Amino acid sequence: MKRVPKWRDIEEMMKPGRLTRDGMLGSDPRPLEEIIESDGATVARLGLTHGDIARRLEELTAASMERLGDPVIVEETYEVRVEEARGSLPCPFKHPGRWRKAVTYCRHLPTGESIAWTALGVHMIEAHGFYEGRGSPFRLDPERIARLLAPRASSEKADPAEHNGIPRPSARRQGAGLEPDDRNATG
Amino acid sequence: MTAEASRYLLESVIVLSGLAGILAALLVVAEAFIADYGECIITINGQKELRVRGGDTLLNSLAANKIFVPSACGGRGTCAYCKVKVLEGGGPTLPVEEPYLTGKERQEGVRLSCQVKVRRNISIEIPEDLFNIRQYRARVERIRDLTYDIKEVRLALIEPGTIRFRAGQYIQLRTPPYGNVREPVYRAYSISSPSQETDAIELVIRLVPNGICTTWVFNYLEAGQEVLFSGPFGNFYLRDTAAEMIFVAGGSGFAPIKSILLSAPEAVDRRGGRFFFGARSVRDLFYLELMRDYASAHPRFEFIPALSEPHPDEPWHGETGLVTEVMARRLADASNKEFYLCGSPGMIQACVRLLRSMGASDEVIFFDSFA
Repeated sequence: MKRVPKWRDIEEMMKPGRLTRDGMLGSDPRPLEEIIESDGATVARLGLTHGDIARRLEELTAASMERLGDPVIVEETYEVRVEEARGSLPCPFKHPGRWRKAVTYCRHLPTGESIAWTALGVHMIEAHGFYEGRGSPFRLDPERIARLLAPRASSEKADPAEHNGIPRPSARRQGAGLEPDDRNATG
Repeated sequence: MTAEASRYLLESVIVLSGLAGILAALLVVAEAFIADYGECIITINGQKELRVRGGDTLLNSLAANKIFVPSACGGRGTCAYCKVKVLEGGGPTLPVEEPYLTGKERQEGVRLSCQVKVRRNISIEIPEDLFNIRQYRARVERIRDLTYDIKEVRLALIEPGTIRFRAGQYIQLRTPPYGNVREPVYRAYSISSPSQETDAIELVIRLVPNGICTTWVFNYLEAGQEVLFSGPFGNFYLRDTAAEMIFVAGGSGFAPIKSILLSAPEAVDRRGGRFFFGARSVRDLFYLELMRDYASAHPRFEFIPALSEPHPDEPWHGETGLVTEVMARRLADASNKEFYLCGSPGMIQACVRLLRSMGASDEVIFFDSFA
């Protein structure tokens, strides 16, 4: 099926060396829409929304911000620290605004497993349902987030095919005529 | 569908795609060689006029005339740093610019100068400071480790051979293509050397995970290599008052404070100064000897390094706690003081909250928030 050129533009922005050194697609051979759709299905199966997951990541980041980069124990379960660098990054989906170069490092104390996310990554989850491609340094597998970070489902369930009122890529392909910028306008 | 019909369909798609490609290529060639926009005049701030050959972007046309608008993405329309106000002649705002402009900016005619083509006379407004910005060619004179993740880079200027800047300002260093990085990018770094030194500059660069420029500096850049940078930029510099100067920094935020201290020793002697430097442990500290010597030479200056998490097996007899906690202990009040902060946005926010709670007004708090 013919792809909307703007999806190709977004993928181009996600390539290594464009916004970040290693890019956001990793070694994932799937088209961007397929990555988003697959993770969206996983999130829906977990009974969560992208907003639930983004909120949980933001909660943990906020809990450690007060320590100015030092590790802090949160909920007696996580060791969290935030590293910030000079500058900001735009969203590859061309969403208005810029995001701080901040990385949150989180260690799940009971298992010793570590997970990291960026400020831009949280935005891309919440607004675009994008968790980065497999093999990307900041890929956040929704199942792993659910297992380690236990995000709470919001009381009001969203339609699994929608997020913030924005149809998922499958809806677009079914003829909704939605293009990436349309998602950005409301995301 | 029969095999023949499929083959026919496939051949049609290939032929049509090929034709579309040829047409697109012809348009590009026509734009480059046939379209002649002649000489265009760029009027800047209603006063200065530049005569340029039409067809190039506003960003490039200005740069060709040695007016360097800040840009971090090399003109790809992704960093949104190169905004200028276009009063007339800029044509309609392009879809690629829309996400980066606020409603107010659109109303005022603000555009990304890398996306505006100069095809007719054009009138723009830019800050006067931009006239002082130059592009410099320099040679890496020295790179040395300050900590495990911070390097000091010294650049000897080649062309122009000297630079004038205010201590506290920053430059934008050009990272050339390397590895997977196919196009140049620009990143901002504060100058750490004194402003009296005009034939070289020093930078303090901390490795950023997945960072394009810092990876290049740490893994590819070597002494003897030529680099390009533009500058100076920024409004973070010492104000000329009689108030005591309180400096606060974390990590590579040390750079502009060092430049200010080395550039204005007489101000330190006259006004007095204290420098709170926050780090996690001993291995994150640097320039200790420099600061000890500086404090010996300037009795009204005090350097106060503060460790938030000193290792139990590290000998440390200095202040412990977050830099804001140490400031709260050591500063009785905020009266008759000026505050100069440089570090992460989180550190800046925490310091500003503390200083406001101590009665400092925003007029005496200056910061370079890495933003």
